[in-house]
This record gives sequence, C-alpha cells and structure tokens, in this order.
Amino acid sequence: MRKIFPAEELARDSRFIRQTNEQRLSDPRGPRVAGGNASENLAKLTPGLPNGPDRARALMHGIFVGEIQALEGAGRTCWDFEVGDEVPLALKMDMARQCWDEARHCEISVALAEHMGTELGEYAENGLLYEAACNPDPVLRLTGVNRALEGLAIDVFNTMKEFGNMAGDPVLEFCEDWMLADEVTHVKMGSDWLRRLTENDKERLDKALEFQKIVDRLFSFNGFRGEDDDSPIQLTRRFRELAGFSEEEIDEIADMSRDARAEATT
Amino acid sequence: MTDTKRPREPFAPWDRRSLPGLFDVDETARRVGHYKWLETKLFEAMGGWVATVPELDIKLRLGTHCYHHAWHADLFDKRLPELREMNTDRLTVPPNEKMVEFMETMSEPEAAEMTIEKLVGVYRVLIPHKIAAYTYHRNGTSEITDMPTIRILDFMLQDEFNDWREGEMLIQSMIESPEELERAMLHQTKLEEIMLAAGGVAGAGSIGDPYIEVAEEN
Repeated sequence: MRKIFPAEELARDSRFIRQTNEQRLSDPRGPRVAGGNASENLAKLTPGLPNGPDRARALMHGIFVGEIQALEGAGRTCWDFEVGDEVPLALKMDMARQCWDEARHCEISVALAEHMGTELGEYAENGLLYEAACNPDPVLRLTGVNRALEGLAIDVFNTMKEFGNMAGDPVLEFCEDWMLADEVTHVKMGSDWLRRLTENDKERLDKALEFQKIVDRLFSFNGFRGEDDDSPIQLTRRFRELAGFSEEEIDEIADMSRDARAEATT
Repeated sequence: MTDTKRPREPFAPWDRRSLPGLFDVDETARRVGHYKWLETKLFEAMGGWVATVPELDIKLRLGTHCYHHAWHADLFDKRLPELREMNTDRLTVPPNEKMVEFMETMSEPEAAEMTIEKLVGVYRVLIPHKIAAYTYHRNGTSEITDMPTIRILDFMLQDEFNDWREGEMLIQSMIESPEELERAMLHQTKLEEIMLAAGGVAGAGSIGDPYIEVAEEN
C-alpha cells in the first residue's frame, strides 16, 4: 500500500458523486438546494426559514461525507508516517482514536440524514477535506485537519444542535451534542500536537498556522461561517476556547469571514 | 455480631490460582514487546486501508477496529516498564524477519477491488494467530505474579473475538462466487505459509510445544 493516497482515488460505491469545488460553486442548483448561500441571501440556519429544513438536510449530508473523509484522513495519518523519525507513536494512537470517533460520526450522521428524509448520495461530495489530509508534513496535516476543519465541525455541530432544539427534535439535538464533544477533543488534539511538535521550530509553527489559515479561508467563502447574526453557521467561541484556540485566533477567523463576505458582495 | 478475630485462609476455597508460571520477567517482556510491535503494525495498516475500501460498512468497521489495536499497543507499551524495560522501543521489535515479511505482505493490497484480500489477511490469518498466542500466554503465565498481563490480555481477547466475528461475517458477505472463494483461499494460504515460517506472532513457541520428547531406543 502506498504512502499518501490521492484524493481522486478515494474508494466510494456507486451512490456517491464527486464534484470539484469549482463545480460546486458554479452549480446553478446550489442556491436552491443550499437555500441561498450567496452573500446577499445569507441567513442563520433556523427551522423557521422557508428553506430551513432543506438546508438542514443538505448540511447533514455534507456532515456525513465530511465524516467519511475525516475518518479516511485520520486513518492515513496512522499509515503515512514512520514512528520515531516522523511522528511519535502517541500521535498515531490519537489518530486511531479519531478513526473510531469518525466512524461513529458516520454512523450517527447517516442515521440522522435518513431521519431527516435524505437518501445517501442525494447531494454531491467534494474532496476538499481529505485533500487537507494529504499534506506530507504531519504537523501541517494535523493543523489543517484538526484545527481548521474539525474547528469548523465544532461550529457546524453547534449550529445543528441549536437547529434541533428550535425544531423540537430531541434526537437531532442529542446526537449533535455528543458529536460536538468529540470534535472539541479532536481540535484539542490538534492544538496539543501543534504545540508539542513545533516547540523548538518557529518556522514550522508559522508554516502550519499559515496552512490552517488557507484551509479556514476555503471554508469561509461568502462569510458562510461567522459571528454575524445572519451567518448560516455560527462561530462558536466557547467550545473553540476549550479546544485550545486563543481569543486572538478566534478573532482572526471571525475577521476572515467578514472579509470573505465583503469580498463576495463587491 | 461478626467475630472480627476469627481467622480466614488468604485464599478462599474457590480461589485455585497458583504461583508457578511458564514465563519469567524477561521472557514476558520479550513477548509483550513483540505483541506491541504487531499491534502497532496492524492498526497502521487498518487505518491506511480505510480510504481504499469502497464498501461503506467495511470502511467504518476498519476505522473502529483500527482503534482497538492501537489501544492494545498502548496497553502493552505501558506494561513494558513494569517488566523492567524502561526503554520500551528496545523491545518493540518483530520476533524475526519472517514476521516482518508477513506484515508487509498482509498490508500490501491497496486496490479498491481487493477488499477480500485485506479482510482475509487480518481476520482469517492474523487475528486467529493472535488469539492463539494471547490465549497460550494468558493461560500459561503465573496467575498471581503476572496478573497485570493476564488482565490486559483478557481485555484484548474480548476485542479480538468480537472483531474476528465481525470480520469473518464481512468476509462471508463479500464472497459470492467460486472465483472470489478461490481468491480468499489463495491469499490465506500465501499468508499462512509465511506465518508458519515465522513460528507464530511471537516467533517459535508462540503457542508452546505439545509434543513429548521420547528417548531413542538402542
């Protein structure tokens, strides 16, 4: 088995349809399905929106495929690096633990998607998350995946938990709360390993944080995730702090989101 | 009223544990080091395979079982210093070159069409051999002096049996034609031959030797 498995070869059955980010952004069905994520149509995800339930269904399917890729990425980190020369065994053990967590998240989110009336494969999948997990430097990989993407997952799960609460759906709220707890753990793993592995290597730390910003920026398109009242996905300060983010780092993500939104409207 | 001065035996009548065991401290440490090496290689391979397997249920099982073996490696790693090996890396080694070859051959299949080979290597060859070696160790070591090893082996054997059952059912569900059966059997034989040459997961004597030496007649 090769080291570094390319994103375009991720193994899927016939129900899954792969879409590039460009295809996704230019897909005319996007605004209808996602409920209008163009900056002028932004609105916090609530059941009260005319397209709220449909947007929640699309988001849940997105969570499901994201969990598959997170599982695959954590699994590859167990395989791609040599213990000792490249990573400590304890880091791989954390990634193995994450594999188990992500496998459960796949089970939870596919069951929730069904609960919400969605079929597997109803929405397309893009491989952005897994691509971040292909970085050949384990520090950059963990920073991009565990801090940027799992950080985004904290925001998404908290938003979906609130959606479940508002919709009077205790099953959705209960499950999202459990997944949120796991995500805080994963982000904290990323924060801890970033600190430990770059303790005496400022250059590598800077590179890793820059990579995290690139990934964060990719997922902040149109201000989709932010602190404004109408941001569809709300940035979650409290849980990010628990996971090792500093106040400045959270401010920076909020600013990035505002910039992305301003850029999209000009 | 309970008579607190009434003497009792240190071992209750039903407690038949005994002091003697087959392995001294050094031999136990040697075996535990080999087990840790093996569990590490196994969880790495299972993690790597997740992205290569298209069958959704199998992908999720590999992710789950990957952690079981990482946890086993961690438990063995924690046991080594208790067996006087403070540098745990020193004993985290394969028992012999054949075991290295086994793990390399087992981890080799990558193509999406090779799920049967991936599963057969783990669930029809490696895990049954691990169950055998861990059971031999668990039953042969001192039930009093080495109880910490027995306790962790018991936890692991519970995982191994459960995972083996799940893996075997996945294999049975994947084999739908004589050609697929042939593939499974060929791969199993190829790996069993290497395992035979390795002498088991801990090398020669992995499950002891049941034969009796008989003096030659003149």
